[in-house]
Amino acid sequence: MVGVSSMASASAPKCNSHTSENEPVKSTSQDGVNCDLNETVPRLPGETLITDKEVIYICPFNGPIKGRVYITNYRLYLRSLETDSTLIFDVPLGVISRIEKMGGATSRGENSYGLDITCKDMRNLRFALKQEGHSRRDMFEILTRYAFPLAHSLPLFAFLNEEKFNVDGWMVYNPVEEYRRQGLPNHQWRITFINKCYELCETYPALLVVPYRASDDDLRRVAAFRSRNRIPVLSWIHPENKMVIVRCSQPLVGMSGKRNKDDEKYLDVIRETNRQLSKLTIYDARPSVNAVANKATGGGYESDDAYHNAELFFLDIHNIHVMRESLKKVKDIVYPNVEESHWLSSLESTHWLEHIKLVLTGAIQVADKVSSGKSSVLVHCSDGWDRTAQLTSLAMLMLDSFYRSIEGFEILVQKEWISFGHKFASRIGHGDKNHADADRSPIFLQFVDCVWQMSKQFPTAFEFNERFLITILDHLYSCRFGTFLLNCESAREKQKVTERTVSLWSLINSNKEKFKNPFYTKEINRVLYPVASMRHLELWVNYYIRWNPRIKQQQPNAVEQRYMELLALRDDYIKRLEELQLANSSKVSSASTSPSSPSQMMPHVQTHF
Amino acid sequence: MEFSELIRTGRAQAELLRGPEAPPLRGTLCVTSHHLLLSPGTEASPDLWLLLLRSVDSIEKRVAGDSGTITLRCKDLRVLQLDIEGVEATLDIARSIEGLRLGDAWHFHPPERYYQRVARETNAWRLSEVNEDFSLCPSYPRALIVPRSVDDHALARSAGFRQGGRFPVLSYHHAPNGTALLRSSQPLTGPQKRRCAEDEELLRAVLVGARPGARGFIIDTRSAQAAKQARMTGGGTEAKAAYPGWKRLHRPLERGRPLQESFVRLVEACGDLEQSMDRWLSRLEGCRWLEHVKEALSTACLAAQGMEREGACILVHGAEGTDSTLLVTSLAQLILDPLSRTMDGFQELVEREWIQAGHPFQLRCAHSAFSHARPKHEAPTFLLFLDCVWQLGRQFPLSLEFGEGLLLALFEHAYASPFGSFLCNSEKERGLCEVRTRTHSLWSGLNQPKEQRKLRNPLYALNPLAIWPSVEPQSLRLWQGLFLRWTRPPEPSETAWEKVWQIVTDSEKTEGSA
Repeated sequence: MVGVSSMASASAPKCNSHTSENEPVKSTSQDGVNCDLNETVPRLPGETLITDKEVIYICPFNGPIKGRVYITNYRLYLRSLETDSTLIFDVPLGVISRIEKMGGATSRGENSYGLDITCKDMRNLRFALKQEGHSRRDMFEILTRYAFPLAHSLPLFAFLNEEKFNVDGWMVYNPVEEYRRQGLPNHQWRITFINKCYELCETYPALLVVPYRASDDDLRRVAAFRSRNRIPVLSWIHPENKMVIVRCSQPLVGMSGKRNKDDEKYLDVIRETNRQLSKLTIYDARPSVNAVANKATGGGYESDDAYHNAELFFLDIHNIHVMRESLKKVKDIVYPNVEESHWLSSLESTHWLEHIKLVLTGAIQVADKVSSGKSSVLVHCSDGWDRTAQLTSLAMLMLDSFYRSIEGFEILVQKEWISFGHKFASRIGHGDKNHADADRSPIFLQFVDCVWQMSKQFPTAFEFNERFLITILDHLYSCRFGTFLLNCESAREKQKVTERTVSLWSLINSNKEKFKNPFYTKEINRVLYPVASMRHLELWVNYYIRWNPRIKQQQPNAVEQRYMELLALRDDYIKRLEELQLANSSKVSSASTSPSSPSQMMPHVQTHF
Repeated sequence: MEFSELIRTGRAQAELLRGPEAPPLRGTLCVTSHHLLLSPGTEASPDLWLLLLRSVDSIEKRVAGDSGTITLRCKDLRVLQLDIEGVEATLDIARSIEGLRLGDAWHFHPPERYYQRVARETNAWRLSEVNEDFSLCPSYPRALIVPRSVDDHALARSAGFRQGGRFPVLSYHHAPNGTALLRSSQPLTGPQKRRCAEDEELLRAVLVGARPGARGFIIDTRSAQAAKQARMTGGGTEAKAAYPGWKRLHRPLERGRPLQESFVRLVEACGDLEQSMDRWLSRLEGCRWLEHVKEALSTACLAAQGMEREGACILVHGAEGTDSTLLVTSLAQLILDPLSRTMDGFQELVEREWIQAGHPFQLRCAHSAFSHARPKHEAPTFLLFLDCVWQLGRQFPLSLEFGEGLLLALFEHAYASPFGSFLCNSEKERGLCEVRTRTHSLWSGLNQPKEQRKLRNPLYALNPLAIWPSVEPQSLRLWQGLFLRWTRPPEPSETAWEKVWQIVTDSEKTEGSA
């Protein structure tokens, strides 16, 4: 009776009979605690175990679980001491943004004394510890030390990681090759090495594409008028109509409304790379109010008077602080408990999807201008490394099917985000203990969310699957790879990141099958315009609410799994067919020499793929 | 599929003589489930010649040597002669036409067929024809499955005690543990709290038939308050003392006009392209449609859990027992019964639990969401059911043999259809209107081979387990394929669907050829 009456009161059935992914991994040893730790803790080459402790993990979904926590210089790892020493979680320390002590010496309640760990990936971990024996102090200190190595003059784990892969992800992006793929240099655009030693602009890559008619001296003069010297440079050129996407930072107009003839001329030179164009379109990603407000700090936007041949539009995308607060609100409604009664209006009040919509809408406008041949486009925000990167990279993804392949997407991220100085270190705060740093913001996550929205709307257009996107986000924080470390190319060069760390693309490209979308149909030159209406945007439940076992889809990736099987089967048969044909043709050739085997002849088999 | 079973041979070479005025036609003769088709060779006129098989009044065959002749006499008084190459081909085509011209899929899913399945699983139930002439219950079909130990006389008494005569009948027998799902309408206890010994006996017999000591739950789809109020108008709910072993649970489900209004508001919101979209989510929430989806699914889960986990028998009813009752019983079956998730099984489920069970389609689907007419009996209960099924399919993408296409087709046909399946409100009315003789069945239309790609789920793999959906609001989605169908190009999702089919057929071909 108890069962059903409780069942009757519960608003929802809690049973999942199909959870298959992320199912606790059974440990190989039965008495996980006392046996060799090397066996119980998976370790990467270069990873060392620092300590282990008995704790009570306060699981927000299943209540307290007694377990043993292992801390290495890379991860925090919890094994249950209750049931079969199952793995409860395995969290890279890089994911941790904040460690707090809860309860004091006088705390009396059960499990009220311990640690509360806030993670960057939408969850918190709480441990209760014994008050005696300084176990909390020890754990707190060790975790702080290894989760925030920069504050303790320790290297990030990526510099200690000795993993080896059979492909080198650092080779994926070669700017010269990528520009050549775009047909550059050409008569209108040249490659310049003016920034070879990062003297023109510290946060730009060494190699830039600029109008042929602009001299290096012109570039230097323009740099003086653009915030942080981020001059307008080419991101992408349309293969047929030769319209371009150009990116930069805001002009330094200031309160007095300064003008710069060189900058004005330079923009005109960009416009004139397409002879028929009467106007260059400028998309300022910010809301106009913010653009005006930026004048007070020396920034601003291109005025009509100064730039006769340009048309400026504001895209109303808010700044990093607004985005950070919005995501915080999302976390509030999804973790640990999901909002039940007014889910949709709560979701609306986070404005997260609205921001996604504005970013996508902006990118669609950029893509449409360029694709329709109406105008070349110049995109900037304030510094040109957050919203600008979102807009250019999303527009390029819509315009250029190459970026929708796995390697193409890696190149897109490597180019528009990493090489052009999106401040990953500041926005994510790798190894930094200052969790409340105002520089932190989920700009890149927002971009990946937009990509996911597109992949939802165009299920066959992308070579990669959801797992690919989630893996990128997981390693955005993990510090296992060098890919997202530091703020710009010059800093990475100084630290020799490509020599001293492994690239995330090495991991992905050495096991590509796992990240492939089975429905992918390669289509060259198809422009994707996602529907950026609120009706067609969804919260990315599989990412933002993935820790909640009640929300988890019962058959996660089952479709993809089945497809992988089918594809593998198909590949297998094709291979066997080829072997048969090979064997057959050798028989045919041998038949010509030995006339005794004509009966072995088989008709030539045609594959239908 | 029954029609294709009747087709002995697909095609043959033939010459058609159409009387003295028209020239003879030579070509390939094809028999489909509804038509006789003659496709002339390329050299002749490119037109197809087509004959509706139902128009054939009589058929006569003759064979001589290695060819044969079939004479068809049509209802429109035409006489046609087919000269066919090959004796076997002639006989097969004649037999196919013979079978198909009379063939109708109207006997596709009679309750008898489900009874045969139940009878294989247990002998606790019997098929009763007490409602043969619809005198006991006008909204029930002729035959009903009832506890073996209850005789027709007792059924008649119980019918008298239930609104509209809808006495408790078997909806689904859960073979793994012998529990049963029943449905009925509310008991007519009235303000005097009347009782009916036969009705009580019927429910007792259900428990006894399931297992000695079995327990039962009555899921009333109204609130306790509403159930109590119903007594004033002669209705009511089962008194605890009168039905030992049964416990009553109230799970109020929205019905009638509020449900229709929710539907209208949702369609309005989806079609309103002017409105500032920043308020979309709260507007969607304000429509409360997804809330109804959630409530329907969780009530169905409750019923399914009661059977599967608690080993209890379940009786579902609201007031009339023709709307939310059917919603709950049909969804509970989909959750529990793998057979109901197949193409055939699902069609049978819709036929048995909605059409034959007397959901008043004519009244409920008289108008859809756009009508300005003042709604009387309209309610999108069946659409809500389809939406819930769609949610199940989204959460269990491999477990349903049919795809979104079938659900969309059912939605369309429920509201307007060239087929007769959804006509009228009950079996009785269908009999009076001669629906079976004067129209075609939707199922025969849907089961045409050319429709299969649109309707089937290429990824289907039999899942023998119960599928427990997650009913958190985060897990439920607006059914875009239906509600946003006309506001966005369907092309990307159709391409994806095509792609899936392509991969599956390719794989099958490779498997076949290797």
